[in-house]
Amino acid sequence: MVEHSLEFCNIVKSFPGVNALKGVSFHAEGGRVCALMGENGAGKSTLLKILSGDIRPDEGCLKINGEEQHFSSPHQSIRASVSVIYQERQLVPSLNVMENIFLEDMPAGRLGFVNVGELRRKTHEIIDLFGLPIEPTDTVGWLSVAYQQMVEIMKAYRRDSNIIAFDEPTAPLTDKEIEILFKLIRKLKEKGKVIIYVSHRMAEIFQISDDIVVLKDGSLVKTLLTENTHEGELVKAMVGRDIGDTYANLKRNDKIGDVLLEVNNLVTYDVKDVSFKLHKGEVLGFAGLIGSGRTELMRAIFGADPILSGEIKIEGRPVRFRSPSEAVENGIALCPEDRKEQGLVLKRSIFENVSIPVLKKVRKGLFLNRKTEFDLAKSAVKRYSIKTPSVEKRVMELSGGNQQKVILGRWTSEKMATKILILDEPTKGIDVGTKAEVYQMVCDFARQGIGVIFISSELTEVLNVSDVIMVMHNGRISGSVTREEATEELVLQLAMKD
Amino acid sequence: MENTNRLRKILTSKEFTLFVTLVAIVLLFGSISPNGAFLKPRNIRSILDSMTIYTLFAVGGALVIISGNIDLSPSYVGAACGVLLAKLLNDGVPWYLVVPICLLMGAAFGVLNAVLINEFKIQSFIATLTTGTFIAKGLVYLIPDGVTYQIKDPVVVWYSTGKIFGFVPITMIISIAIIVIFGIVLAKTRFGRSVYLIGGNANAARLAGLKPKKLSYIIFACSGALGALAGMLYAGRLKSGSLVGTVDYGFPAVTAVILGGVSLGGGTGNMLGCFLGLLIINGFNNGLLVMGVKPYWQDVASGVLLLVALTIDYFSTRERKIRTTLSSKGGMGQ
Repeated sequence: MVEHSLEFCNIVKSFPGVNALKGVSFHAEGGRVCALMGENGAGKSTLLKILSGDIRPDEGCLKINGEEQHFSSPHQSIRASVSVIYQERQLVPSLNVMENIFLEDMPAGRLGFVNVGELRRKTHEIIDLFGLPIEPTDTVGWLSVAYQQMVEIMKAYRRDSNIIAFDEPTAPLTDKEIEILFKLIRKLKEKGKVIIYVSHRMAEIFQISDDIVVLKDGSLVKTLLTENTHEGELVKAMVGRDIGDTYANLKRNDKIGDVLLEVNNLVTYDVKDVSFKLHKGEVLGFAGLIGSGRTELMRAIFGADPILSGEIKIEGRPVRFRSPSEAVENGIALCPEDRKEQGLVLKRSIFENVSIPVLKKVRKGLFLNRKTEFDLAKSAVKRYSIKTPSVEKRVMELSGGNQQKVILGRWTSEKMATKILILDEPTKGIDVGTKAEVYQMVCDFARQGIGVIFISSELTEVLNVSDVIMVMHNGRISGSVTREEATEELVLQLAMKD
Repeated sequence: MENTNRLRKILTSKEFTLFVTLVAIVLLFGSISPNGAFLKPRNIRSILDSMTIYTLFAVGGALVIISGNIDLSPSYVGAACGVLLAKLLNDGVPWYLVVPICLLMGAAFGVLNAVLINEFKIQSFIATLTTGTFIAKGLVYLIPDGVTYQIKDPVVVWYSTGKIFGFVPITMIISIAIIVIFGIVLAKTRFGRSVYLIGGNANAARLAGLKPKKLSYIIFACSGALGALAGMLYAGRLKSGSLVGTVDYGFPAVTAVILGGVSLGGGTGNMLGCFLGLLIINGFNNGLLVMGVKPYWQDVASGVLLLVALTIDYFSTRERKIRTTLSSKGGMGQ
């Protein structure tokens, strides 16, 4: 049996404003499963993207079986016998299972046409090996997410890659399907393949992995042997870090008022039986893993997604918004997670983006009053020190941090009477300096008596900025803690509880 | 400082480029046309007059394209309304009832388009192509049932063919009034701003408190009603309900809109640009005609003109895009 190996040698990668990887080195042996762990933003995905040739490291290299590799495209990575299976599937939805599995490598028949019989036979072999109830001719787009995932894995299997990396492969799978996946991973392991396994689920890590590599803020903090460690040690390794003075210097609100928003037993397609209360002047944090239902919960409250059952009260008055415009009229504001796709009209100017919710109030007779609009935008530019030569500049020409400030400026303009401000990952993709500014803004909103909901996947910030932290897991609230009693270990355990 | 900035803004705007192009076309044909025929007042009027029907389609088309959709049906709807006008007048229905009925039918087609797009999630290209080329075009034949009805109603004939001071056609005044009104609505009102915002990013506009769905109903209804108006004026000029009607007017109108700087991606453009686009295409075609070029070459020429405009647009927006991605690219979260 050939022993394969993969080595990451001092990988450095930075994006504007973010040092994603700061010199990561480790070694993964064939015939073993190496788990990659760390919080969101620790650098796991970046590492996988480098492995797949999607992005190039600034420094350092990969060694496969001792040989140095410098991938400049996914194609080269595949040629070097690497398969990376991402969370977002890389399939062609309009093609069927066999075409997807053999996409780059169709068995040719006479005259160069695809040999369909051969294609079907080979695909059947693989499907049987996996024991899946699907047909080679099923269209991939019509399969459930779980089966699509399996097709992706079969594709890697078919390529007979020597290095296979899984990015949270079990997220869409049921227990039974996870069983099948694990059986398969063990089979690949026996064949001496290198397996890299990224997951947030503790139980799984202990079930399937042999080695654990822990990343934190772009650095490798610990390498562990799975059999010699335990959950407590692992969580500590993922969390342990020094917290700067950023948080100690925050000017917080100390006068928390009456109940502003009350949600009782809310159920939507993605959220199960959620109840919580938000008070005036309070910063209510929402922690949890990506996909835990936080965004969906807020969209439902905001009237953007349908509600199946449950009750929402604002200042004691029951409400149920049928559209975001009703929510806005009732003083609720939402800064969405994906600010380019959902937050801003990038093609239009700053002042046009600021005045959207108050267009009714900036009119003079039939017409919009440009001067009032300019004044609103100029005051936002001044208040949040948005870097721009003019309020007529198109938003697409601003940096990420300044774009975020434009959205904040929209919801806190003089013409708005925002009572509840929902911030969904407001610091995502923003550089460190601006992050600190955003934290202070959040506290300032609370000091003005606004109830702030602060969603973040970065544990440190959500724990240190919020007064109370709700933790979500699988569409439910799995616990809530106050800032004083919260520790990262505690919150992480609530967020990952199986 | 303020003034130099403003000047630079005007000089780098799309409208200025269009204006320069227009001036170039006028100078070109003005100097090479035999006896300066191109610049004679009668010929200028003829250019403006030939724009009338196109203008109405262009206004509706621009409205829909700015809002991020496309409407291919109005030219067929116009044809259907033309024959409906002739038929109803012939049946003895008075003009003051017939005209609103036709406008309503146009608006109803717009609402039908909006239903297909918003409720059944059909792409606007397919939805409006279907309602236009099948339903509306079918009605063109079904309504008159093979008969070509003459239009003799004096009021309809007056506003369709009459001239103020014996020189300026009333239809020209109507179409210019429409483009001016919609230009002001787009630039100055809440509705107009909303059209730009939902065209730029419907999702973000909705989450900021606008109602993209409701707006799209209004926008498509406007486009349908403008198509109906164009169809009625066309039929009135011919004094009969033609079975071809305005069918061939749709694409050239959209061409002028795009030439006029309205991006197919939605969210940008204005009526001044559209008007300049219309002038350029019609002026250019008229110039070729005055020069004695065969009419079919006009189609080829407008096609080339549009390709040139799209290419320029591609390069200018691409350059801008590269610059913005360089300056505003955030980090990759993880």
